[in-house]
Parts: sequence; C-alpha cells; structure tokens
Amino acid sequence: MTVASYARNTGGGPGESEPRRADVSDERRDWRQFVGFVPAAILFGVFFIAPLGLIVVYSFWVTKNYELVPAFTTNNYKTILTTSTYVRTFGKTVLMAFLATLTALALAFPFCYWLVRYVPKRMQRVGLLLVILPFWTSYLLRVYAWVAILGDNGAINSLLKALGLTNGPIRLFLYDNPGVFIVLVYLYFPFAALTLYASLERFDWRLLHAAVDLGATPMRALANTLLPQMRLAMVTAGIFVFIPILGEYLAPAAIGGTHGVMMGNLVANFFSGYLLPLGSAASVLIALVIFIVLIVFRRSLDTKDIYV
Amino acid sequence: MSDDLQAVNPRARLFRTILSVYGIGIYIFLFAPIGVLILLSFNSSTVVGFPMAGFTTDWYARLSHDTVILNALEKSLIVAFWVTVLSTVIGTMASFPLVRANIKNRGGVRVFITLPIMMPGLLIGVAILVLATNVLHIQPSLETAIIGQTVLATPFVILVVSSRLEALDRNLERAAADLGASAPQRILFVVLPLIYPGIIAGALIALTLSLDEFVVTNFIIGADQTLPIYIYNQLKFGITPEVNALATLMLLGTLAVAGVTLGALRLVKVLASVTTKTNRLKEPASAEV
Repeated sequence: MTVASYARNTGGGPGESEPRRADVSDERRDWRQFVGFVPAAILFGVFFIAPLGLIVVYSFWVTKNYELVPAFTTNNYKTILTTSTYVRTFGKTVLMAFLATLTALALAFPFCYWLVRYVPKRMQRVGLLLVILPFWTSYLLRVYAWVAILGDNGAINSLLKALGLTNGPIRLFLYDNPGVFIVLVYLYFPFAALTLYASLERFDWRLLHAAVDLGATPMRALANTLLPQMRLAMVTAGIFVFIPILGEYLAPAAIGGTHGVMMGNLVANFFSGYLLPLGSAASVLIALVIFIVLIVFRRSLDTKDIYV
Repeated sequence: MSDDLQAVNPRARLFRTILSVYGIGIYIFLFAPIGVLILLSFNSSTVVGFPMAGFTTDWYARLSHDTVILNALEKSLIVAFWVTVLSTVIGTMASFPLVRANIKNRGGVRVFITLPIMMPGLLIGVAILVLATNVLHIQPSLETAIIGQTVLATPFVILVVSSRLEALDRNLERAAADLGASAPQRILFVVLPLIYPGIIAGALIALTLSLDEFVVTNFIIGADQTLPIYIYNQLKFGITPEVNALATLMLLGTLAVAGVTLGALRLVKVLASVTTKTNRLKEPASAEV
C-alpha cells in the first residue's frame, strides 16, 4: 500500500479534499473555481442529460402517420407491460442479468483469492493485466468468436468429433439462452475480477491467521473474517456487471438467435422500426431498473476504487 | 505469507493446487475465443471453422488491398483522434473543480460523472440519435459519432486524472505561489508536470475505447463506417477469415499503442529520476559556491 493510498483511505492526505481554513475564505463563493466544469457540463448537459430527458418525454407521446405527436399518454407503458412477450422478455432480461452477475462473482472470487494469495506480487500485475487484455480485442469479435467455438463447425464440436465421441455436430447452447448466458459471463467477468481483486489485495491476512490461531477451521476463518469485509466489493462488482447486461443487445442477437432475445434487442428493434414512443418507454423501464439498483445500493458504490 | 498457514493446515497444499488449476482454467476461458480468432485467421479455407484446412497468410495480404477497410481504418483513426483530444481536455479541466472546488456533495457529483459509464451504451446511443434527428435536425455522421464517444470516454479521463490530482501535495503549489507564480503558471509548471501520467493514462483509455466502440457508434454514425462498424456489417453475412485477420491486427495495434505509451512513460520516469539524481549530486557543490 502506498503512502498516498493510505492517506486517501484515512481521509486526509496530501491532496486534501477539504480545503484549509486559510484557503476557504478565498475560495468560498468564488465562481471561478467552477470554470473547469463548463466544457464537461455542456457536453453532458446537451449530449447526455438532454437526450435521456427527451427519451422520457417521448415515452409519453404518440405517433400518428409516422409523425411524433405531443400528448400525455401512458399507453406506451401499458402496451409493454400488458403484452406477454414483452413482459416475459423483460423478466427474462432481469433474471439473466442477475444469474450472469452471480456466476461472474462466483467465478471471480476464487480466482482473485488465488491471484492475491498464491501468485507472487510481481506476477500479480501481469496476471491482472491478462484479465484486462481481452478488453483490447474488439468487443464484436469476442462475441462472434463464440460462434466459432460453440457452432456446428466450432472448436468444441470438432474436438468431440476428433475424439470419436460424436458423429454429427451437436447443438451446444448456440442460438438459445444458455449460449447467451455463457457469453455474458465471459464478457463481464473482468469487471467482477478487477473490483474483487482491489478489495482482496487490501485485506489484512493476519486476521485470518488470528482466527485460525483461535481455533477456527480455515473455511470458518474465511467466512468470518474475509467475507464480511468483501461484502462492499461484492455489491460494487455486482452492480458493474448487472447494469450493462440489462442493456446488452449484441450478444443476444449474435448468440441467442430468436430464442435469446433480450430487452436491448426490443429497444433496438423499436427504434429501427420508427416506433419511437414504444422504444422510449422500453428504454425508460430499463433505466428505471438501473436507478432502483443504484439507489438501493448507493452506499456501497465506491466508484473511486474501481477504475484507478 | 501463505506458507505459515500451510504449516497450520497440511491440506492447504492441496487447496493451493486446486486453486492454481482453477486460475489457469479461468485464463483459458478468457483467452480461448481470442486464440480461436487468431488461429482461424491463418486458416486457408474460406469457411470459418475447424478442422483447419491449411496455413496461409493470404487474408492478411488481402487486407492491405481492400480499399473499404483502409477507408474504415482512416475514419476510425479520425474519430479516435478527436475523441482522445476532446475527452482528455474536457476531462482534465473538470478534474480540477471536482477535486478542489468547495463542493458540498462531492460524492454525488462523482456518481453523476460516472453515470455515462453505468448507463448501457444502447440507451445513450438511441437517445443521442433521437436528439440529433428529431430536435437538432442533423444527419448522423462522423461528428455525431465523435460527440457520442466523447460522452463515453470523458468520465474515464475524469476518474483517472482526479485520482492523480487528489494525491498531489498542494503545498507544492503554495510554495510556487509564495515564489510569485501566478495561477496559470502554477498549473502549467507545477501541477501539469506532476499529474501528466494520469492524463496520459486517461487519454490512452479514451483512445482504446474509441477504436473499439461499437454499441453507441452504430446508432449515430450514419452512413460512415469505422472499423468496428465495418466488421459488424461483414458479420451479418457470416464471419470470414478476412475479418479474423483484421481483428488480429487490431488487437496487435491496440497492444502496440498501450505498450509504446507505457514504455514511454517508464522512460520518462527513468530520465526524470536520473535528472533529479544528478541535480541532487550538484546541490552540495552549488551550496559551497
């Protein structure tokens, strides 16, 4: 742990978020200190907040003769929430995101534990870099590469054939929900691993030793010392995996075929079919789920530690 | 650290072996698709699949003659350049008030800034598309793509630069002020030289993000094609070895950019430490004079 990070953790430090009293008198109510925010405020205001606000507004409008007409109707929401295909897709998307998140966390925890405990310090950085490395390959191709693995001529099928286990190609999860599930876990595993690693690396392993010294079995020691401290990181990691999956549309389209359609595909289809109000309403529903998650877990969101 | 626990529990050795196998398994899981991709880019058959028909580098040779790909590459580089410049400048500027201004709810502002990262790209993409076509009445084009990607990249720059800025000792600036440096001088000669690794890291994230961005860009780029969009349009007709070759080259390209930047950073660090050392050596001499 560096001095700087220690200082950050304990609150004060070289960069002091809280200005000194002498500086405060100068800086208080001085608008010039906010000048740096101006370009960012324009960028986010015009091209992030305004468009999203527009989507919310449009979700209450109607289309007549392919023209958007201002109105205030909740029919768009009613249509989505009463059409059984949409409801089922919505439910499936949330469930899929939830299961993929749990799986990614369950896979990442033992992995990070291994990395922190059993890999020499110098190699840990390399190990972590290797986890991030897939991010530098095209996202598109990481998705489509799975077709080359799971497909009829794919790596697994040819391996099975070469081993004489099968004659013809067998359908391996491709073009159905399990295939989408595997790819989603694959795509978002690094998010989970990075966050959990950051937390595990800071853990004081002497606590574990103390617990074992006091007679706990190693598993019990882990459960009683490590896990409680990991709760925050687990929640943060979970959120960072769960949210992007909600809006995922490429993986379901490429891997899931017609069975694997998720909410993102519906939104994309609505918009490409010029059904703006319906698409907007579906988008708002996704955003609503995200906001609920963020509000419920807002205390656990330590965004500072995730990317830095 | 783990050895003493092994003394306590002999089964720890077994545990360790199992975990190591598991860890390597995870790496295989992470790299299998990329490995398959690279492997198949050398396959002489036009059908992407196994078993491989033979080894060839034809697909790579073909890439260099493909004007559509070269055109898409050019567009990608143009977009990436502007996204990197804009998001680095805007993000660095915003980091200063974020860390230093007298804000009551700093945590709230921080969460707000990370919203574009959290929001699924799909929503950002359709929202900007709707704004551009229905309200601003501008055609989706390279410019809208640049703006959309800048929205995505700027939060990363802010996060990285502000963390660097937070670790900076403000007394250095107070000292510079005592010595008569004006505010712009303090930023130019004291702060920026100290936080530039953060700025470069932020720019690097913006650059790699832009080169690979697909989800948002696909909605707002209109008729133009960057490389990911080109690949997507190709993939509609099925995955081809040529696309695999292109992806392999793109991976090498991103790795090269990252490698060169990190290498340059390290070199600068080494040079800086050498100069400080030589300065330190000179100091007593100058003191004597």
